[in-house]
Amino acid sequence: METLLEILNPHFLLRNALYGGLIIGIVAPLVGVFLLARRMVFLGVALPQVSTAGIAAAFIWHAFFHGHPDRDINDFAIALVGSSLLTFGVIVILALLERRKRGILEGRVAMLYAVAGAATILLVASDRITEIGILGLLKGEIIAIPDTELLILLLGYGAILAVLAVFHKELVLVTVDREMAISLGKHVVVWDLLLFGVIGVTISLGVLVVGPLVMFGFLIVPPMIAGRLALGMRNVSVMAAMLGAGVALVGFAAAYRLDWPTGPTDVALAGAVLAVVTAAQAVRFLMPRMAVK
Amino acid sequence: MADALISFRDVALGYDSVPVLEGLTLDVHLGDFLALVGPNGCGKSTILKGMVGILEPLRGNIGRGMGERPVRFGYVPQRETIEMVFPLTVFEVALMGTYGRVGPGRFVAHAERERVRACLGDVGLADLQRKPFPALSGGQRQRVLIARALAAEPDLLLLDEPLSGIDLRAAQTIMELITKLHRNRGLTTVMVSHHLKALRECEAVQEVMWVYEGKLLRGPAATMLAPDIVFRMMDAEIG
Repeated sequence: METLLEILNPHFLLRNALYGGLIIGIVAPLVGVFLLARRMVFLGVALPQVSTAGIAAAFIWHAFFHGHPDRDINDFAIALVGSSLLTFGVIVILALLERRKRGILEGRVAMLYAVAGAATILLVASDRITEIGILGLLKGEIIAIPDTELLILLLGYGAILAVLAVFHKELVLVTVDREMAISLGKHVVVWDLLLFGVIGVTISLGVLVVGPLVMFGFLIVPPMIAGRLALGMRNVSVMAAMLGAGVALVGFAAAYRLDWPTGPTDVALAGAVLAVVTAAQAVRFLMPRMAVK
Repeated sequence: MADALISFRDVALGYDSVPVLEGLTLDVHLGDFLALVGPNGCGKSTILKGMVGILEPLRGNIGRGMGERPVRFGYVPQRETIEMVFPLTVFEVALMGTYGRVGPGRFVAHAERERVRACLGDVGLADLQRKPFPALSGGQRQRVLIARALAAEPDLLLLDEPLSGIDLRAAQTIMELITKLHRNRGLTTVMVSHHLKALRECEAVQEVMWVYEGKLLRGPAATMLAPDIVFRMMDAEIG
């Protein structure tokens, strides 16, 4: 409780890291609901990896032509450009291939994950300074987020939240029943592109702040927990966002108190909640049967 | 024909640019009740998807219109086409029927929600609206999908194998419901089915179209479901 009061103090030194985690904790699960509903979970693993490769490539490119960027807003902007370009490029290519129904999506995504991971390691191995920055991201050390970065995150994720709220019914319809959507005159390709754009922005911005592991954790685990407890897409979405926020807050407090890296603490906490909920449901399912015997 | 809701003219339909059916010419008129029948894999559902616009023609022309206004479809897909990672409630599934009328970015108004409840009442499921859709029986799910189609206020009701995978009693209930909708509302209906007995017993079915070796054979229900025609078509399926 004491720790919670300390980190919630407006003058707390690491407040931006807490706010950043909370913003991602609320918005990422809302996007993750659609990833799960469309059975695109693998994409949720691969895209943060692609995004990280984009960040590494952008840093290396900048270091090669212009020297190392200062640790300021330029740093963030270069990373954002690299992350966004590669993430969007990959999403568009995957969507086109999926539309042409060539090959297996899972195979492509798995290949993408492996190649993006390898490319990240090879890219950072060639430059020591970039390596240090990328290693921080990979470990999910959310310590210091400058005000400007927090503002960009807030604006970007605010826009995502608005899109998801305003077009919720269209996005649910093309996700749940594509054929019905066409029969109602909806342009499913347009809605797919909007959803992929939302996924791209969420991942490329989020990875910059919390890294690929934490991003994937927030995208997938809270919606999985919510899916076990709530009924209906809207209820699942609201509960997933609340769980994400709760995990971000409690995870940050635990990490601060125990001096652990914040990101992995968040993901471990979310995993523990999922395990408890699953176990409780299993007990509830088995109890009446055991009583009958 | 002036009153045709759907008109196919020398249409080829298929998947991945490979035609499954070619040279299709047919009309669906206001007030029709047409049943599409034929052996498994003959292309019945493909024709239905062509009517709705899920498949665009590889060749030829498909007209879908009532004068200036596009046709409003009430499409009842095969149950397996609905993605249910997160279980939706019965009401949420039926509510989707209104999404064609309610524009992007607008919330579904109270009156529309009431209409959806009325549609669920029409199919006899008013008291199940808060239940999870996947928890329903096959026949109940099919009725929810019919309620969803009705919520679209359709000009044309299209049903893709509504009787598949459900027991005899549920099939009977659904056929009675479809018959009532056609009779009371004059709802134009196209239905894909391989349950010939159910179609024969359904008084609403006016015409039957056999899809047979890529060709269409259309006629009055009594003639097309007569034993000699059925035996000929079934021989073709077995042979």
